[in-house]
Amino acid sequence: MDLFLQTLLNGLLIGGVIATFTIAFQLAFGVLHVIDFAVGGWVVLGGYLGYYITAWLGLDGFLAIPLAFVLFGALGYLIGPVLYNVRNSRTARPELMALALSFGLFTLLRGGMLTAWGFNTRNVTTALSGESLAIGPVTVPLIRVVAAVFAAAIAGGLFLFLYRTRYGLAIRATAENRHNAALMGVNIGRLSANVYGLYAGITAMAGVLMGAIYSVNPEVGLRYTLFAFFVAVLAGLGSVEGALVAALLLGVIEAFVSTYVGASYSLLAIFTTLFLVLLISPRGILRRGL
Amino acid sequence: MALLPTNAQWRGLVLLAIIIVVLGALPWTVNNYWLRIATGALMWAGLACSWNMLGGYAGYINFGQSAFFGLGAYVTAFLMGDPFGLPFSATIPAGMVVTALCAVIIGAPTLRLRGAYFAIATWAFAEVLIQFASAMDFTGGIGGIGLPPYLNERFFYFAMVGTAVLTYFLTWALFERSRFGLKVKALRDHEPAAEAMGINTALVKLQTFVLSAVTASVFGAIFAYWVTFINPKSVFGGDITDQMVVMVLLGGLGTLWGPAIGGVALFVVNRLIWMYWGDTAFYIAILGTAIVLVVLFLPNGIAGLFARRKNDALDKVLDKLIGSGEGGHP
Repeated sequence: MDLFLQTLLNGLLIGGVIATFTIAFQLAFGVLHVIDFAVGGWVVLGGYLGYYITAWLGLDGFLAIPLAFVLFGALGYLIGPVLYNVRNSRTARPELMALALSFGLFTLLRGGMLTAWGFNTRNVTTALSGESLAIGPVTVPLIRVVAAVFAAAIAGGLFLFLYRTRYGLAIRATAENRHNAALMGVNIGRLSANVYGLYAGITAMAGVLMGAIYSVNPEVGLRYTLFAFFVAVLAGLGSVEGALVAALLLGVIEAFVSTYVGASYSLLAIFTTLFLVLLISPRGILRRGL
Repeated sequence: MALLPTNAQWRGLVLLAIIIVVLGALPWTVNNYWLRIATGALMWAGLACSWNMLGGYAGYINFGQSAFFGLGAYVTAFLMGDPFGLPFSATIPAGMVVTALCAVIIGAPTLRLRGAYFAIATWAFAEVLIQFASAMDFTGGIGGIGLPPYLNERFFYFAMVGTAVLTYFLTWALFERSRFGLKVKALRDHEPAAEAMGINTALVKLQTFVLSAVTASVFGAIFAYWVTFINPKSVFGGDITDQMVVMVLLGGLGTLWGPAIGGVALFVVNRLIWMYWGDTAFYIAILGTAIVLVVLFLPNGIAGLFARRKNDALDKVLDKLIGSGEGGHP
């Protein structure tokens, strides 16, 4: 029973961190209509930023979080319009071309990181590394708790921004219907750049947390892209609310399969679930997808 | 049809003759090292072509083509191995049958999905296979399986030439010169309209998918016997699909010669990088850069640059050879 509770808690805490970047991923899809393969690349880059903050500057890894947001937010702001232009270009198949572009970006990030840093695994160290917290019969590493709380704060802030501000309204309107939003005076191009920047920044922040909890190497990016896809498929592409539920579910599935069946089966279980969900209910289990 | 070939047909004939002479003479003029490179280039040109059938002509982006390449490789390795010990010639048809069955089972439901959903579903399927092959015992797990070695470079070269030529001929005959090809292109350009015209789009998509999968499996089978050792990463790995996608994008989506141009070009770049730097990571970065640049500046690929004259010359000769010209041919 203790093992069960422990596993459940671990799953939920990790699911919370996954939720932050998958919510942003869904938002980016809703506005730009691009499935972004590069999502895992941003996560890993955030992790590396956290690593270099500690390794070079000797600072606490958590200090990389705001820096990651600013740095990768700016980078995303520059890349967003390129994706947007390809998606809305007059080529024969813009959707496919945008998919290919994000795929190329991901391959470029992955290859560049492998060339620069090799296959070695790096850890983000923080003041909390190694500390753990006992809650009744279960113990959890303190860093996971902090990361999950932090992730919840980011997600909460994002929801407040989306539902309580005028700009959030404009974003939701664009996701709902871009033509009508444009008619109401929303500058879709600039909004897309902002949203992509927001998304890249949040994803990199989640990457710092992931680097502190597990570790990073250039090859794990694929895993996070998969996580984002899994959540998107489960929630239905573009459904921001569904992403929260689906991410927690993903964390729990992964934790339980790893604990009770074996770590080498967790990816098999996730991929199989993803595949089956796509076949049975292509618009997501919540039937909210676009 | 005129008795004497026209100018364009002469050009095509000469081109075709050059290709035949070069491909035929290669095994007797270069050393084994370069023969291996030529064999690899032919395999990638063929694999890119197999991906192009569904991705280019039907517009369905398959991110899991390595699944079928790997199936062909694993069936061959498995059947040539200890308990069975079948000859290579018998394992290829077995691999084709297994792949075809698998493609029907996978294709029928996934082809209902569109765009990104289809891409994710096929990717997930390939990853299921790689994880499955890594976790099971009969596949040798992560360690992989060895095959009985057969050190005859010329044999593998001609096996690749034969399969590649057949692949291109099938592509040309089916997608460029038949009603079937028109149906496929119609569903790519506007699926509901194609449906309304009475095309059974579900069937056409499935046929294309199975054809593309089976072709890839034959290359996988030859590859396995050629390298004599396979593991889940080397035949199911996402990198294999990635390369096919990039080769087709670079050469030109939905064109006959695009995959050949892109496949050979990228494979040679790959070998050169390997020769001079011995670094595969750098090649991945180059692949990524190539995709980004092609999407931004050359959306129709290299073949698109020659779109006006394109391959008319070669096409006309091929037309003459099989004596048909069905389907809106000028």
